[in-house]
Amino acid sequence: MPLTRIHDNAVKAWTLAASLYGLSWFIPTIIYLIAVTNLKAETGEAIFQNNNWWLFGGIFLITFLFYVATVFFFPRIRWRRWRYEVSEKEIDLLRGIIIKKRTLVPINRVQHVDTIQGPIDKRYKISSVAISTAATTHEIPALDDETADDLRNKISSLVQKVKEDV
Amino acid sequence: MSEFKRQHPVAAISRLLAVIRQNFVTLLILLFIGGTGSGGEYFWYALIIGLVTAFFAGIFGWFRFTYRVIDGELQIKKGILRRSNLYLSRERIQVIDITEGLLQRMFGLVKVEVKTAGSGTESATISAITREEAEQLRLELRKRRSVETEDNKEKEQEEREIEYESWNISKKDLVYAAITSGNFGLIASILGAISGQMDQFVNEENLNYLYSKLPGFNNISLVIAVILFIIVVSWLLSFLGVIFKYSDFKVEKHEKELLVSSGLIERKRITIPFDRIQAVRYVEGVLRQPFGYGMLYVESAGFEQNSKERSIVLVPYLAAEELTGFLNQFLDEFDEPEYDTFPPQKSFMRYIRRPNYLLFLVLLPGAWLFWSYGWTLIFLTPLTVALGWLRYKDAALGIGESLLRMRYRVLARTTALVRKKRIQHIESSCNPFQRRKNIEHLKVMAASGSDGIAFTINDLRSEDCDKTYKWLIGTHENSESEQTALPGNPEAAGR
Repeated sequence: MPLTRIHDNAVKAWTLAASLYGLSWFIPTIIYLIAVTNLKAETGEAIFQNNNWWLFGGIFLITFLFYVATVFFFPRIRWRRWRYEVSEKEIDLLRGIIIKKRTLVPINRVQHVDTIQGPIDKRYKISSVAISTAATTHEIPALDDETADDLRNKISSLVQKVKEDV
Repeated sequence: MSEFKRQHPVAAISRLLAVIRQNFVTLLILLFIGGTGSGGEYFWYALIIGLVTAFFAGIFGWFRFTYRVIDGELQIKKGILRRSNLYLSRERIQVIDITEGLLQRMFGLVKVEVKTAGSGTESATISAITREEAEQLRLELRKRRSVETEDNKEKEQEEREIEYESWNISKKDLVYAAITSGNFGLIASILGAISGQMDQFVNEENLNYLYSKLPGFNNISLVIAVILFIIVVSWLLSFLGVIFKYSDFKVEKHEKELLVSSGLIERKRITIPFDRIQAVRYVEGVLRQPFGYGMLYVESAGFEQNSKERSIVLVPYLAAEELTGFLNQFLDEFDEPEYDTFPPQKSFMRYIRRPNYLLFLVLLPGAWLFWSYGWTLIFLTPLTVALGWLRYKDAALGIGESLLRMRYRVLARTTALVRKKRIQHIESSCNPFQRRKNIEHLKVMAASGSDGIAFTINDLRSEDCDKTYKWLIGTHENSESEQTALPGNPEAAGR
């Protein structure tokens, strides 16, 4: 089983990302509010009239709870569950908040390795390492920049030693 | 073949036709909408201008497209405004397709597609050259690197001409393959497309008209009649599709590659090098399994945009009992390890329940919502239970020395053979319910087309998944010491 954890800053970065992206969950409730409160100019009636505040409250509450969960709980759990290990023969990844997934990629199947850094990652000085095979791309998120670069170099040098064709 | 050459001028027309074919649906819709309304004449001008532009683009495209093979590298220069140079070395070539379309056939020409792996690289297509040129090109690109002297070249040429084994489809098998080809996916997509367009045609007026014309029809029988009609039509389409596609189907085994040729109107010839075969897949469809037949596919990493066509059909209709013989004859590296791992008893109820989740949580509520008799779907329960039971019975894993054999069922039963050194990754996943029972799903990924193909067996013992992991990375007892030795000691890592 893989043991290495990803960087702690992952929690902060994911929290920030989720708190921004998660705002889009509120779009339906905002549209609802606009539809209920805005009055048509000519008739003076609301665009949507069969308003039920209980329904609205229910939807809002569910959205809000979901938002809180994705912002305050999921990043921490996700971080806690993420483990990886890169050895000379394989890349071993273990992750998953509810469904646990373990992935084993033989080193000689790796086509290329990238490091990726988004704007939020940059703020927290972390990068992801993306490992591409002929079939899919696997990503190890949130390693501090130096570790990510080292890991990328390590994998690519390991690959060169054992390189076979697709 | 060291000079840059142009294709046959027919390439220009084939390009024009390709443009028309790609935009066929759009054109049809535009014809209906634009051709009739006011300002219809402007539409026709636009159409004619478009076609003329496409025609000249085709001619210029042909003029600017040159290719050559030099040092085992296919070089293509193309592009009217944006020039591009495409260089494909023969070591990177996965599959070579040679197609004779209707247009090409009239001029004795063929289309050559050279496919490389991965989504980054495009496949190179030469759309019209003579058959002899294509054959020469193919031989050139399939030659071994090491053999360079003239002497050996000729010897190689001779070797190449020898046909080792071959297999032809019989007329009877072709017809059976066509009859049993009922493609449920196609039927579903046609049903979906029609129900999307339904609103235009299904209104009170039309319905009343229909009822008056067809006495004895009510709502339900009309719906059933329409569905039956669609099933029959799509079955006919897929029947004809199979006849056209797999007529004269022939597999030839050569020294280093398989050659598959087939087709009635559009003849296709695919070259699959043995060392490019990622996996072999035998699929016993619902209609075929009762007769003991199935379809054999080969997976290759050749780039293919259309994900449905990325697998290469090796035999369209093959008896299950002939599979072993066929593999021995044509694919030496693929033997069939004995099945030694099965889902445990404790997974049985999970297998039985899984198809029912779909029925009770998605299909039934959905049908009930839209149709008052939707609850009758509950009578499908015995079928879903039977499906779950079959899935449990069919799930099996065999671990050989250099090969993994997996059998599982979704609707059709699939048997996959994947070589160890062609496995892209193995993934196991387990949800909290599975964790309690210590079972996991096992997914094995092989490369296919521009991405992968996954083979999944549900609810295996965790120990069995671990066993597969260990098998994949070789004996792995002292992995800990290897890992610690790695960073500081490159010699140890190199071995």
